Amino acid sequence: MSDPSTPLTPPPLSLYLHFPWCVRKCPYCDFNSHQRSGDLPQTEYVDALITDLELDLPHVWGRSIYSIFMGGGTPSLFSPEQMDRLLSAVRARIPIRPDAEITMEANPGTLEYAPMDEYRAAGINRLSIGVQTFDDALLSRIGRIHSSAEAASAVSRAQRGGFDRINIDLMYALPGQSLGQALYDVRMALDLGVEHLSHYQLTIEPNTLFHAKPPVLPGDDDAWTIQEQCQAKIQAAGLVQYEVSAYARPGQACQHNLNYWRFGDYLGIGAGAHGKITSGSSQQVIRTTRQKHPTAYLASAGTEKAVIERRALTQSDLRFEYMLNAMRMNEGFEIDHHQQATGLMLDQDQAPWPSLRADGLIEQQGLQIKPSARGRQYLNEITERFLD
Amino acid sequence: MTQSHWIERSLFAVNSSTAERIGCGIITDCPKGNLGVDASTLPPVSTVVFFVVICLPFLELTNNLNSMSHDQSYIRNFSIIAHVDHGKSTIADRFIQVCGGLSEREMDKQVLDSMDIERERGITIKAQSVSLNYKASDGKAYQLNFIDTPGHVDFSYEVSRSLVACEGALLVVDAAQGVEAQSVANCYTAVEQGLEVLPVLNKIDLPSADPERVKEEIENVIGIEAADALEVSAKTGQGIAEVLDALVKSIPAPSGDPDAPLRALIVDSWFDNYLGVVSLIRVVDGSLSKGEKITMMSTGMSHQADRLGIFTPKRVDRTVLRAGEVGFVTASVKDIHGAPVGDTITATKSPAEEALPGFKEVQPRVFAGMFPTEAEDYPSLREALEKLQLNDSALKFEPEVSDALGFGFRCGFLGMLHMEIIQERLEREHDIDLVTTAPTVIYQIETIDGETILLDNPAKMPETNKIKAFREPLILANLLLPQDYVGPVIGLCEEKRGVQKDMQYLGNQVSIQYELPLSEVVLDFFDRLKSVSRGYASFDYEFLRFEEGKFSRLDILINTEKVDALSSIVHSDFARPRGRDLVERLKELIPRQMFDIAIQAATGSQILARSSIKALRKNVTAKCYGGDVSRKRKLLEKQKAGKKRMKQVGRVHVPQEAFLAVLKVDKS
Repeated sequence: MSDPSTPLTPPPLSLYLHFPWCVRKCPYCDFNSHQRSGDLPQTEYVDALITDLELDLPHVWGRSIYSIFMGGGTPSLFSPEQMDRLLSAVRARIPIRPDAEITMEANPGTLEYAPMDEYRAAGINRLSIGVQTFDDALLSRIGRIHSSAEAASAVSRAQRGGFDRINIDLMYALPGQSLGQALYDVRMALDLGVEHLSHYQLTIEPNTLFHAKPPVLPGDDDAWTIQEQCQAKIQAAGLVQYEVSAYARPGQACQHNLNYWRFGDYLGIGAGAHGKITSGSSQQVIRTTRQKHPTAYLASAGTEKAVIERRALTQSDLRFEYMLNAMRMNEGFEIDHHQQATGLMLDQDQAPWPSLRADGLIEQQGLQIKPSARGRQYLNEITERFLD
Repeated sequence: MTQSHWIERSLFAVNSSTAERIGCGIITDCPKGNLGVDASTLPPVSTVVFFVVICLPFLELTNNLNSMSHDQSYIRNFSIIAHVDHGKSTIADRFIQVCGGLSEREMDKQVLDSMDIERERGITIKAQSVSLNYKASDGKAYQLNFIDTPGHVDFSYEVSRSLVACEGALLVVDAAQGVEAQSVANCYTAVEQGLEVLPVLNKIDLPSADPERVKEEIENVIGIEAADALEVSAKTGQGIAEVLDALVKSIPAPSGDPDAPLRALIVDSWFDNYLGVVSLIRVVDGSLSKGEKITMMSTGMSHQADRLGIFTPKRVDRTVLRAGEVGFVTASVKDIHGAPVGDTITATKSPAEEALPGFKEVQPRVFAGMFPTEAEDYPSLREALEKLQLNDSALKFEPEVSDALGFGFRCGFLGMLHMEIIQERLEREHDIDLVTTAPTVIYQIETIDGETILLDNPAKMPETNKIKAFREPLILANLLLPQDYVGPVIGLCEEKRGVQKDMQYLGNQVSIQYELPLSEVVLDFFDRLKSVSRGYASFDYEFLRFEEGKFSRLDILINTEKVDALSSIVHSDFARPRGRDLVERLKELIPRQMFDIAIQAATGSQILARSSIKALRKNVTAKCYGGDVSRKRKLLEKQKAGKKRMKQVGRVHVPQEAFLAVLKVDKS
């Protein structure tokens, strides 16, 4: 284990706001989302988010917000007025940088009548739309409520409403999906002219309906072929891969996600949200977790009861978690940055570095270390070796 | 392995638990591990000896046994020979009940029920000794010492050992199922040792019971008079007292000379954490007193007999053990080799001239390498093996170094069941993760230099051009099965390179004898036999001789690297198909990894079969955001732990099961 010889320097700070409701829970989804029943307590929930944020302010005193991400669940179930109220309240409590990226996740099927320009006016400058696929049969197979046409129109409406930064989430290796279908999805997304694509392989996670009743998925080799060909098609359209599943036109990468992968700090506000805060004064990195269930969260927000975990990372956690994130990016990381963010020296003669080099999983240029093409293929191999 | 093995093992549990319940009132202070109530002493260890002394609430009676004036003519030492499930333990319970040990209600509600639980759990416990006090119909009181025998073929040598301590045996046969091969073998052993054998038909209450047919079968198959076989139902209690009376009448009393110099046979020895080495002895001549100086006749070592006594099942100290009796002695012997089983104990002061005929030292027949998955566990593995050996003289081991698996031990076992038990105990009781290599038999090789080598490890086979003769062990298999299965069983034996020696139709049963290579039997013969005969065929074997043949070493190469732990000796005619099967099997067992893996089977430099495992295309977690890092971590930790349980051969992670793959081939 390396010596903690460099002081921890607090990295950029982001803000994550969680909205735990969906119209319907998808069978593959393992995020903290709950099926909506009746009207959402929008006002109460936004109030709760604000008081919850206040609880964490002392830990980030003097710092400003670099990006905001409103994720879910389905944040677009909340009205533009509530979003405006929320963002104003945040701005009043902590400085937000003028160039901050403010993203809202939105699901087609909730956006038909949404006044896009009003969301834009509330300060949201980026949308991430959960399309998943443009194939109606596949959409229903994975439990989505929208149609392909609704997805396409949601994207167009957002563009017309003034959003010039839009991400489309696509999943591949869906139950029964052919290579042709997967390529069609990519073409559709690219034709809509978005700046960012998140292209993930469907994975069956524990505690999901698919885990209990697994669908038949394309085999590993087929999934790989889909990935390779889709990747080529996306890159040919000028979007560059910068992370395992993320592609963007130059300058359009998601700053908020990059901050996660660069082991940046983030306040995690909302039901079940996770946060990570570096404390310069105590030289510790703290992870926080909020009450998961919306009811429990609403009842306790603003008090320490809402925080179910506040845990300082050990040196071994820091080493592993840094790599778990940094190695996901094609650019990798700089050795100096590792030291600032973890407070740990990186000794390249120590395990697992020699074996990573020997197996051709990493590449190094000067002080920059990054996964090789092969390393990106076997990313778990790399990160696993940082576990003790 | 097979289910029957487990049933076999649970049988031990049943017996010992019975003994434990009987003594429930007084056994509570009994230190763990001495009389075998300890789960750490498993069956391979020894003969299961039962001296049922009724002790609850009959302490007085125990004292009677202690002080009873000694007359050998009132002692009967006997054992029960029975196949698994033919009702040995239930009969034993009935004996206890008839002798007044427990009321019927207590028997039903406590003993039998709790036995079932034990049976379900499959706990295997070294049995403990019990003695019975029985008032026979002639009005006289007899001391009945009941000695149990294990049923599995692996432990037949244990049977002969227990039988030496007896003058008679009950042959218990299921009145519906008839005779089974294992009982036949054990019965022959009893007859050879001059024991009086009393046939008893159990389960006579079953609608399917056919006593006449089974009596005929006993006469035909075993060749002992069975017309007057006693008919009992251990379940209902019918005929039990008659058996005890017959036992007293027909089984001779011990006939040693009570006034001659002491000669006591060590029937079994085990290590007890509190007492050191405890030996179970049968006093043949003379008597042994507490505090007396004794000499082990094989080693000449002298010790003082610190404690002696009998099992009731509680250990009851006595001041003297006399001719005809069976009991225990402890003499500050530090390790079990100081009181070898089969040795004769005599008095140091006036020693006997000649030792009793001991036992043949048991030879391990099956060998396998055992390696810790974690190299640092090597010292703990040695320690664990040493501990197991204290109670299991049949277990042999010596250090082995494998290129593929590192440091471990080459271990010798009586058979596959014995191996499985040891393996399980090491993993369960000693918490050591093991890689066990495929078991092999011992081959005899004569080199051109005229040297004879006993080869217990394929990796150590000499160069082919140095070998003049290569011989494999042959066994004589005795199979007993219903007529319907003759075809498939013969087919199986032929496939296993067997040569038929004899076949006889005996009523409904057919007795078949085959000469078979032991190596083929070790592979999967038991399982196959069970499946082709739907469990109806029974099987017993004895070692015959080494026979010359054409053999080669089949090597397995993973990414062109020879994996010594996967080598096996095969008959040359079968090298190619075996190689092909093995390669395919390994292809299924080895998970895809970051690179292509080539698997080849070869003899010498000749490649016989090849296959490859395509590289895993990717191993990536698709999503990872600021959220639950600890969940991703758990996932990766699980992946890593899975790999840790595998052995790394070169860069390839090979799962433990792969090393036993040789066992599973040609199962189609």
